[in-house]
Amino acid sequence: MQSAQRLAHQGHRISFPATKLLTSEQWLVGAHIITAFVALSLGIFLGPFQVFRRAPMLKLPIPFFSYYYEALTVHGVVNALVFTTFFIVGFSYFVVQRSLQREIWKPKLAWGAYWIMLIGMLMTLYAILSGQANVLYTFYPSMLAHPLFYVGLTLVIVGTWIVTAILFMTYYAWRRESGPTERVPLAVFATLTNYTMWCVATLGVAIEVLFMLLPLSLGFVNTTDPQTARALFWFFGHPLVYFWLIPAYISWYTMLPKQTNSKLFSDPLARVAFILLLIFSIPVGVHHMYVDPGVSEVMKVVQWVFTFAVAIPSFLTIFNIGAVLERAGRLRGATGRIDWMWKQDWWNPIVAAQLVGMLMFVVGGISGIVNASLTLNIALHNTSWIPAHFHTTLGGAVTMTFIGIAYWLIPMVTGKQLYSNKMALVQIYTWFVGMLSFGFTYSQAGLLGVPRRTDLGSAPYINAEAVPYLNASVIGGVLLLISSILLFANLLLSIFASKTAYAEAPPIDTKVESESPLFLERWGFWLAVVVVLCIVAWGPVFLETVDFASTFNAPVYRPEVPLPIK
Amino acid sequence: MIHVDRYERTWFVIVGMLMGSFVAALVATSLIYGIHVPSPAGRIDPTQLDNTEFATPGLTQDGEKAYTLRVVAHMWKFDFGVKGSMPNITIPAGSKVKILATAKDVTHGFYVEQHNVNMMLVPGQVSQVSLTFAKPGVYHIICHEYCGPGHQAMIAVINVQ
Repeated sequence: MQSAQRLAHQGHRISFPATKLLTSEQWLVGAHIITAFVALSLGIFLGPFQVFRRAPMLKLPIPFFSYYYEALTVHGVVNALVFTTFFIVGFSYFVVQRSLQREIWKPKLAWGAYWIMLIGMLMTLYAILSGQANVLYTFYPSMLAHPLFYVGLTLVIVGTWIVTAILFMTYYAWRRESGPTERVPLAVFATLTNYTMWCVATLGVAIEVLFMLLPLSLGFVNTTDPQTARALFWFFGHPLVYFWLIPAYISWYTMLPKQTNSKLFSDPLARVAFILLLIFSIPVGVHHMYVDPGVSEVMKVVQWVFTFAVAIPSFLTIFNIGAVLERAGRLRGATGRIDWMWKQDWWNPIVAAQLVGMLMFVVGGISGIVNASLTLNIALHNTSWIPAHFHTTLGGAVTMTFIGIAYWLIPMVTGKQLYSNKMALVQIYTWFVGMLSFGFTYSQAGLLGVPRRTDLGSAPYINAEAVPYLNASVIGGVLLLISSILLFANLLLSIFASKTAYAEAPPIDTKVESESPLFLERWGFWLAVVVVLCIVAWGPVFLETVDFASTFNAPVYRPEVPLPIK
Repeated sequence: MIHVDRYERTWFVIVGMLMGSFVAALVATSLIYGIHVPSPAGRIDPTQLDNTEFATPGLTQDGEKAYTLRVVAHMWKFDFGVKGSMPNITIPAGSKVKILATAKDVTHGFYVEQHNVNMMLVPGQVSQVSLTFAKPGVYHIICHEYCGPGHQAMIAVINVQ
């Protein structure tokens, strides 16, 4: 009986070729990754031109866009929401299939989710590019966009919910087959924590869009409450950044050890770090609303404390990954106390991209702790310090690691080697220097009061002390422009002009050696912990913002027209 | 249960002390200097501002060097009851000013240069802050939340003499 069941399950098991992808993998993973980079090619080039537009010595108009904030909406929505989501979904399928050595649950459903997300992306892009959704990627009401902007984003999120179901069903099928005591590979463990967090977090933005923004934009209701909408958005908005970060951590924890011939220092503590990220990523979103009028100081303090707690898993990561790199450095001949730090494989683009990402994450992490510090935040909220911060985290650690992944994953998808390692290296280091100099100049300008999200090219006033920094930011912009051109040239040449076959094994573990505690895999329990913490940290916030007698009476506006929509 | 290396344990202690000292520094400075983040100062119906104290925004004097400034932010201007594209008010150095502000249409930002004043102005909510303009100078109030095509020009001026 049992062996018959075994056999039935083995239908889902496939033997994956060691150094190649199956055709089904090539298409599914390839479609997601390529879509992500096509989207990125639309959003990335606008970044440097925004810098040029904001530099007082240039004030260049943005190419193809007459309206600065339309370009800014594209840059934010495409880079932060579309590129990341497609990349992460494709990467998750790859990691889960390969680690568990089985095909994902219902591959056809995965294609369904892909098309839903793609159609969603196209709807949102249509709304923005036709000039009917100049609302930036945070789309705060009472500013209103075309309904398709919201429908499109909803479809992208619905797609990710389907992806979550697919990944968990694949995991449970593996679990049934492997018995209750087998440990799931770390990469899959981290992926599952990520999607668990994501499903809870997206509830906030789903409620905001489905019950507030969409009915408003369709004209079913005419008034709303911007403060409640901001709270719902940031319920989602902070875990969103961990949704981006965890796949980068997966690469650092589970792939970098193989790519550097090293070994992960502690698998169980890596799991603890991911669980801490899951637990503490949601009850912290109020740190984006420290200077909002509708949230009490008490709740701001509560979420400030949780925000500091969510720094702990990243400190754990520093030690664990530091130990991986120390071993790697010793293998490369380091003998001293700290010389392993620079005796790394700086000439291998796949490793270098991650190392550079980590260095930027140190900068971004420190500026993040500053942002999180309740009262210090007054000095920098909504100034250009903020984009300086998240361009070293999202634009630095995350994007650089994703690019590092693309430098081996796209060759695996096409079966052809990366066109040029040299080009990749120049791309990585120009990005590194460019992003750090952008970060430095913009953080300084921010401390002098230069606002973010502002078309300074036509502003009547800029603090004179900040002008040299804004002018110097052009250096970062130019380097990032060069880096972006090299990135896409290399990827295009790799896909269309590379001749040499690629035959390397993916950096994926299929077996777990360590004996991490099994309770770490009790997803129902962790979900319950997350829900309880959300109620404690967010319940009072919503009680403060929502008062049915006096809220929901603010009229709504198109960004271009200072008169309420009737 | 989970094996933790000796060095890693030391690292935990260092991290704990580091974060603990950040918390202590923040609590201490906030208490010593009396720094507060904005907290709820009342609700308001953004369509009925004319029936509230925001019907006539502007500066009122409450005592010697003590003022209240009521501000209505709307697309794309800070309304102080002063005409002009960049509204301008003048107060003597050393003035203590209580600012009450709200947004009439969309969400705006309120940042006062060199004075650690930074608030969101959200329709339906009143934002409140008190500050002292100790030194003479020209200080700009800047809207730092995107509010439409005129956002970058949404600036006002406080002259301190």
